[in-house]
Amino acid sequence: MKSMLVMIKRNIKLFFKDKGMFFTSLITPAILLVLYATFLGNVYRDSFTSNLPMAHLVSEEVIEGLVGGQLISSILAVSCVTVAFCSNFLMVQDKASGALKDFSVSPIKPSVLSVSYYFATLASTLIICLAAMALCLAYVMAVGWYMTALDVILLLFDVILLVLFGTALSSIVNFFLTSQGQISAVGTIVSSGYGFICGAYMPISSFGEGLRHIISFLPGTYGTALVRNHAMRGALEALADEGVPDIAIEELKDVLDCNLYFFGNRVEEPVMYLILGVAVVVLVAVYVIMNVMLKKKK
Amino acid sequence: MENVIEIKGLSKCYGTVKAVDNLSLRVKKGELFAFLGVNGAGKSTTINIMCGTLVSDSGLILIDGLDAVLHSEKVKNKLGIVFQSSALDPALTVYENLESRAALYGIVGEAFKVRLGELSRLLELDGLLKRTLDKLSGGQRRRIDIARALIHKPEILVLDEPTTGLDPQTRKVIWNVVSDLRKNENMTVFLTTHYMEEAAEADYVVIIDKGRIAAEGTPLELKNSYTGDFITIYGQNEEEIATLGYPYEKISGAIRISVPNTGCATDLIIKNPEMFSDYEITKGKMDDVFLNVTGIKPEGGEEK
Repeated sequence: MKSMLVMIKRNIKLFFKDKGMFFTSLITPAILLVLYATFLGNVYRDSFTSNLPMAHLVSEEVIEGLVGGQLISSILAVSCVTVAFCSNFLMVQDKASGALKDFSVSPIKPSVLSVSYYFATLASTLIICLAAMALCLAYVMAVGWYMTALDVILLLFDVILLVLFGTALSSIVNFFLTSQGQISAVGTIVSSGYGFICGAYMPISSFGEGLRHIISFLPGTYGTALVRNHAMRGALEALADEGVPDIAIEELKDVLDCNLYFFGNRVEEPVMYLILGVAVVVLVAVYVIMNVMLKKKK
Repeated sequence: MENVIEIKGLSKCYGTVKAVDNLSLRVKKGELFAFLGVNGAGKSTTINIMCGTLVSDSGLILIDGLDAVLHSEKVKNKLGIVFQSSALDPALTVYENLESRAALYGIVGEAFKVRLGELSRLLELDGLLKRTLDKLSGGQRRRIDIARALIHKPEILVLDEPTTGLDPQTRKVIWNVVSDLRKNENMTVFLTTHYMEEAAEADYVVIIDKGRIAAEGTPLELKNSYTGDFITIYGQNEEEIATLGYPYEKISGAIRISVPNTGCATDLIIKNPEMFSDYEITKGKMDDVFLNVTGIKPEGGEEK
């Protein structure tokens, strides 16, 4: 255990020594927020005002709260996974530099090494994502705050869970990579593609039925829905307070992917947590087994 | 002396290429063992199998009597390896590097500090511990590599071309460190090198070619078997030397005659005393041994 802690410390130190990588990872969510607010804010705003019944009765503050909630939930849902892919470069760097060969001539177990990479990436990704979350909350506070303390706590929990998931996923994918160039390529693909398949860039409800069914098998989708629910719950409640009928709010929740359906059956929040939690455990187990198997294969 | 490394019938193929072909050798405790061969001869493959990073197709490796496959963890604790290129983290300090590598062997906390103190005294690391590795000179880095290899008090130090690319002064420093280790700790050293002057200092030499042993023995045995002697004569003219009937070459201010062995040199001197007023007899060099065994001139520096 002490050996693992020392290795985690080594991995975290190496991550923060690469200041370029750290600051790039740190400002990416901030850049995303600016881009979203600039280019997508109006689209979301128009969408709410044109689709809501009695939209003219709804105050501008609530609309802004909804827009803010949708923006930050999209950013956080994507960032937790994409930042993990950017942060999880050390295991590949160690292959290229020969450090992994140095480790392999020692009696340390491959499972200890792989778990130390996992926790180091988890720590660095968490630091960046929590900073991003703070920035997002500051933005929502500026445009229209409707969240309760419980919403913030649940959002924090969602971010942690999604970071656990993103780190596990990136660990498995990066396991096969051998150079910095490959990491950059994978990072670019994930950054551009993940937002679509997790429902962050476009609501899953807007996709065709077949695609919706396929996406409903992906655990990340449920992470997005959880973040969406907790970032927007307060604003949606404020909508009801302003007289928008419950049925309209439920329809809005369907459109926004706050409600997710698995082959027509609505997936409740506890089940979403269960799916994401099980996915994390399975992915970490697969990653550790892959490391152990690789050693045996040699 | 007991054998600390025994390799029996070791083979490893990469596709149709036989990297190591039924190799058998032994290394005695406390000896400096030189493992020579051209690039691709099978040296690194053998070392990788020995260190447990590669699995052989067949054969057996015993390290201090333990099967390297069955007792991989114990064997890894007995081996310290200095790689050809440093495998430490350039961005971290010497202390951080050694701390993380010690943790690989379960040496943490106070145990690490005690061991670090011992290594600091042995390798004079005190002034270097807080400096990052990328700020150190080549020689200092090599000292840190050796410290990393010794962090867990191994019984065998494997040096995989440890001085390649280093300047002569730094090479001398590294060899002084290794020499002290052998003297003070009775450390067994398993060396691969391209520098024949380093191999000439070994207790036992194995030259491999295409994965098989091409020659083995002490440097003296190898020189006696694979090279002749040289008589260097000063102050004689070439015409007279030519009458002796042995091959010769002109070198700076002298002529060097090649003779098959020391007995032949003695006969020549007794029969032609008028010619041998100022001369010296030298053995062939390890470079000549390597050249005669493999047919290839060694890549590193020549033996002086």
